[in-house]
Amino acid sequence: MRNVMAIAGKELRGYFASPIAYVVMGFFALLFGMFFNAYLGAFMQQSMQMAGFGGGSMNVNMNLVRPLFGNASVVLLFVIPMITMRTYSEEKRSGTIELLLTSPLTDAEIILGKFLGALGLYLAMLAVTLLYMAILFWAGNPDWKPIAAGYLGLFLMGASFIAVGLLISNLTKNQIVAGTATFGVFLLLWVVSWIGEGFGPRVQAVLSYLSIIEHFDDFAKGVIDTKHLVYYLSFITFGLFLTAKSVDSERWRG
Amino acid sequence: MIEVQHLSKRYGRVTAVDDISFKVERGEILGFLGPNGAGKTTTMRMLTGYMPPTDGRAIVAGFDVFDQPIEAKRRTGYLPETPPLYTEMTVREYLQFVARIKLPKGVSSADRKARVDQVMQKTWIADMADRHCGKLSKGYRQRVGLAQAIIHNPEVLVLDEPTAGLDPKQIIETRELIRSLAGDHTIVLSTHILPEVSQTCQRVVIINKGRVVAIDTPANLTAQLRGSSGLYVQVDAFEGDAAAMLARVPGVLKVTPADRQGSAAGFEIDVEAGRDVRRDLSREVVGSGWGLLELRPLRISLEDIFLELTTDEPRQEPEVPADA
Repeated sequence: MRNVMAIAGKELRGYFASPIAYVVMGFFALLFGMFFNAYLGAFMQQSMQMAGFGGGSMNVNMNLVRPLFGNASVVLLFVIPMITMRTYSEEKRSGTIELLLTSPLTDAEIILGKFLGALGLYLAMLAVTLLYMAILFWAGNPDWKPIAAGYLGLFLMGASFIAVGLLISNLTKNQIVAGTATFGVFLLLWVVSWIGEGFGPRVQAVLSYLSIIEHFDDFAKGVIDTKHLVYYLSFITFGLFLTAKSVDSERWRG
Repeated sequence: MIEVQHLSKRYGRVTAVDDISFKVERGEILGFLGPNGAGKTTTMRMLTGYMPPTDGRAIVAGFDVFDQPIEAKRRTGYLPETPPLYTEMTVREYLQFVARIKLPKGVSSADRKARVDQVMQKTWIADMADRHCGKLSKGYRQRVGLAQAIIHNPEVLVLDEPTAGLDPKQIIETRELIRSLAGDHTIVLSTHILPEVSQTCQRVVIINKGRVVAIDTPANLTAQLRGSSGLYVQVDAFEGDAAAMLARVPGVLKVTPADRQGSAAGFEIDVEAGRDVRRDLSREVVGSGWGLLELRPLRISLEDIFLELTTDEPRQEPEVPADA
């Protein structure tokens, strides 16, 4: 565990020593803010209209937070590849992988360390968006539990993406190739449910179960369903497992 | 301390290392010599556990590198061809990171810091402690790489071309550093610079195309390949006379004029094996009233051996009579 933390710390330091951490966090905060602003505007307009008709009020959680999380999840498709693309590629390009692989470390320690490091940056990225939530709590009266569920969903989905990103980064020396391929795979994982439409209901059920984003909506709604928890956790485990296999096979090939 | 048994590495159809075996005793410096692409780096990578061999095994400090990799790696320091530095870290940060992953679990952080300082002193990089690794000169990078390799005080050091790309002064310093590390550490170093081997190594493994072509001390290798010994003589005389006179000395087989500067003429002399003609030769020269300016044995340098062993000319082998 000490070794895992040493690697994770090194990864985090690497992110913050290069522009990547700031670009990623800034980019995500900006987009999140733009969506926040747009939904807030729409929300206020609709609330006003509904108040004008004298009929009830809008629900902040359902009408603002949920679509906001939905959009944030799409932004992750673009942002996570930037976090994971360097993890292994850069070490291979610069030769530092030789240091890691000849140090008294197991593959699992290195992989977990890198995973936790990337996750750390991702959490920092999510933490910035709490600012917008603070505004909601200051100005309104939203229910905190669905928001927490939404963040849990974002966390799990991001972690799944990171596991896939690690795997792809291990396959190439070139960061750009890693980043682009990762983005492509994410997109595929996202749209796989659409492809199923032509194949009848059964195939479609399977494909939409595979789609990484299908599982997110319940979290955004504030529902924590074990089905989705299991999906994300097994996705992460499988991604890390494949990364371990890939590291081992790369070693044989030299 | 290091035992390599029938190590081979094949990539698909290409054989990079082909059945290499050698041993290194405790405290010894072994030189790994070969042209580029001979399989030096591949062998070292297998020795350090970076990649597994296709066949054979390597035992470092009593541990099989592939069955007990963690134990073996704990006792091995490795400087790859390009020092594995994280450019965004300062030298101190980098060494502290390496210390964290390489030193045993029980070591306190104060001891780790002390060890980092100690290693920086030892490799003369203390003045660069707060410089980013990416901004170091080639010489300093190499030294930080060396510091990284010795930080956990390993029993075995594997250095892949430790002096490549350094300027002459740095090369001398690095060699001194390596020599000072021997004794405490068993060292395997690779190089394609020949004088380096004769200056730093006790034994040499010459490899070519993935195979071992010779293992011995630099002195023995030189002696073995010299065949009949030769002499170089420079006399102050007319060339023709001198050559005829030198040829008369008993034991001299052949006199070849080598160079001429003014009245000083140099000759290379082939001598019967095992016979020392220097006394007779000098007496003859001085007795003739000429000046003896220089008399020294001709040595074949490691360079000649290296070329002999690794160039691709077909060796002349005795013809085997075909069985009727």
